[in-house]
Amino acid sequence: MEYLWQGLFQALELLVSGDGQTFSAIWVTLRVSTMSITGTLLIGIPLGFVLGYQSFPGKKGLRLIVDTLLSFPTVVIGLLVYAMVSRQGPLGDFGLLFTVPGIAIGQIILGLPIIIALTASALEHIDERLRHTLLTLGADKRQVMLSTVWEARYPILAAAVTAYGRIVSEVGISMMVGGNIKWHTRTITTAIALETNKGQFGMGIALGLVLLAIAFAVNLLLHVLGQKTG
Amino acid sequence: MNRYCIGIMLIVSILLLSPSQTLAGESLMMATTTSTDNTGLLDELAPLFEEDTGIELKWTAVGTGKALELGRNCDVDVLLVHAPAAEKLYVKKGYGVDRQEVMYNDFVIIGPASDPAGIKGMQVPDALRAVFENKAIFASRGDDSGTNKKERSLWDNAGLDVPEKKSWYLQTGQGMLSTLRIAAERDAYTLTDRGTYIKYAHSHQGNPPLSILVQGDKSLFNQYSVIAVSPENCPDVKYDLATSFIQWIVSPDVQKAIGEFRLLGQQLFTPNAQ
Amino acid sequence: MIPVPFLYLLQNVMVQYAGQTVLHIPSMHIPENIILGISGHNGSGKSTLLRLLAFLEHPTQGRVRFRQATENTSREFLRRRITLLAQSPYLLKRSVLGNVAYGLKIRKEKQVEEKVSEALDMVGLSPARFLRRKWHQLSGGERQRVALASRLVLRPDVLLLDEPTSNLDQESTFLTRQAVLQAHEHWGTNLIMVSHDLEWLAQVSQTTLSMHKGRIQESSYDI
Repeated sequence: MEYLWQGLFQALELLVSGDGQTFSAIWVTLRVSTMSITGTLLIGIPLGFVLGYQSFPGKKGLRLIVDTLLSFPTVVIGLLVYAMVSRQGPLGDFGLLFTVPGIAIGQIILGLPIIIALTASALEHIDERLRHTLLTLGADKRQVMLSTVWEARYPILAAAVTAYGRIVSEVGISMMVGGNIKWHTRTITTAIALETNKGQFGMGIALGLVLLAIAFAVNLLLHVLGQKTG
Repeated sequence: MNRYCIGIMLIVSILLLSPSQTLAGESLMMATTTSTDNTGLLDELAPLFEEDTGIELKWTAVGTGKALELGRNCDVDVLLVHAPAAEKLYVKKGYGVDRQEVMYNDFVIIGPASDPAGIKGMQVPDALRAVFENKAIFASRGDDSGTNKKERSLWDNAGLDVPEKKSWYLQTGQGMLSTLRIAAERDAYTLTDRGTYIKYAHSHQGNPPLSILVQGDKSLFNQYSVIAVSPENCPDVKYDLATSFIQWIVSPDVQKAIGEFRLLGQQLFTPNAQ
Repeated sequence: MIPVPFLYLLQNVMVQYAGQTVLHIPSMHIPENIILGISGHNGSGKSTLLRLLAFLEHPTQGRVRFRQATENTSREFLRRRITLLAQSPYLLKRSVLGNVAYGLKIRKEKQVEEKVSEALDMVGLSPARFLRRKWHQLSGGERQRVALASRLVLRPDVLLLDEPTSNLDQESTFLTRQAVLQAHEHWGTNLIMVSHDLEWLAQVSQTTLSMHKGRIQESSYDI
């Protein structure tokens, strides 16, 4: 139990002393998660829009598949991405293994079902009067789509927050695809895994608290943004 | 609203666009084992290597099986592992070249102070037979790691089948420290490398629940070797950088540094490159 | 047949939902410069008719013609000139300014804030107090008036109103009447309104007709 307290003090110590390895892990975590969430939103919101807004044959089945993928274990995603980006794999020539973009690919796969499913839900529950309102005010097809997504921005933002949480806290993909290479692909979560494996529980807790602090800062930022665009 | 949006986009751009590689110098990718990495030896050697050659050593620490696979798949340039039988087969199959022995440390069999099977001070084959006959709980890595391969070979040497399905044989599928923790929990015997044991004992203020019962046996020898990934099998591999590393690590000065490496005040490795 | 220019001409129009005929108008002519009031019970097809006139829906059969527009004229083009205020209108999740300015912004018009303030004045909402209010900070009557202002600000050729005063108190009802008549006077906006408030309808309209079970019953002019 002492390692819980130990962890708290160590967390503060790491941050205040500017510990190089910790800050390197923080930097890598921020880079990877930003890359991942950006990719996830850019791909996921349009796809979620199509799934929620349009009708097409097989829509229900597709929705079922997306919902199932919400339970995709990160280690398995890591394995799949490794198979793709390994030298032997189809994307081998891009040299993505053991790199930050490589991890991002896996984390995007992790985040996409969340964004797609929740965006689709948000759009399905949009007020049915919206479409006619936009049309009668003179909006063309493109403007209707953009304005509809904007009307659904609150649940979509919530989806983004959820996806970010899942992305920034995962270990399976970062470990498998990133390789936990010190200074390069050691994220906070892979560092926690390493320290815990070495029996350094206090350090593990410390890094966990650092991660929560980062998550808090990010969410604070998003919260403020949400208020300002109300 | 616009100010905040711009601010956020700026932060995101900085994070996305900063270069990930330090652009100066070349880098060499190594696969090694978690137990090797955990000793901290590489953390000490890597900066020396970069100083001497200008090459940055990057390594990923995985299980022995995975390390060999990474080499087969051409995902790394050089291997530092400790599973001689598997390594020799590997080289024979053409996946690795220029195998050189570098250093050794040893394994020890540890167990609870109560020593239910009475193995203290025995030779390894007798000790394992005693465990088997007494059905004493034995924790195994069970993960195809170098340690695991060594353990399985010891059962074989004792004339016993690996006790796969026995209820007293616990296959944890995890790293060495996790396995030690489980062994302590279950009052079990286990095979561990000395390095991990030193750390484990230290974390218990020198008074751990498991102590060394069998050591010094020739069969507990843990030989580390470095292997370059075959450039024939992997045309894109950085063979020249791997060669630089191999030549560097067997050089007299570096061998001396390896011998002088201390883990929590204790010597861990004995250099033995030819 | 009708040589004079018309605002709308409906020919053999029929609307069916799930096998039910909701609207059936063999022929209807709506002249320019009109203030038309339409009355009728629920289910008489009034709202459906308005949606056709707003080009938000296609008839199942027949044709709705607007002025000189041909088959090739895009509905988007028409919807930039014709706007509908539905019953219990939906407000966008934005400020009052954002809502009223929406149509102006997509038409890339300038002097947005001025025009919005003018429209808000027309419906009796003081810009100083209401411009920055958010959509969730309005009463029912205020929402209805903001929705009306969003349409008035566009100075449409045709303003279609479906029960514009149903949720309003007396004062707001009066302001609504004043606002739409102003639009007609100053900008030539044609008004076609549906209401069950026969008294109000009679006050505002030049011409009235009533509908029953999807058909037009009587009128005070030739259709």
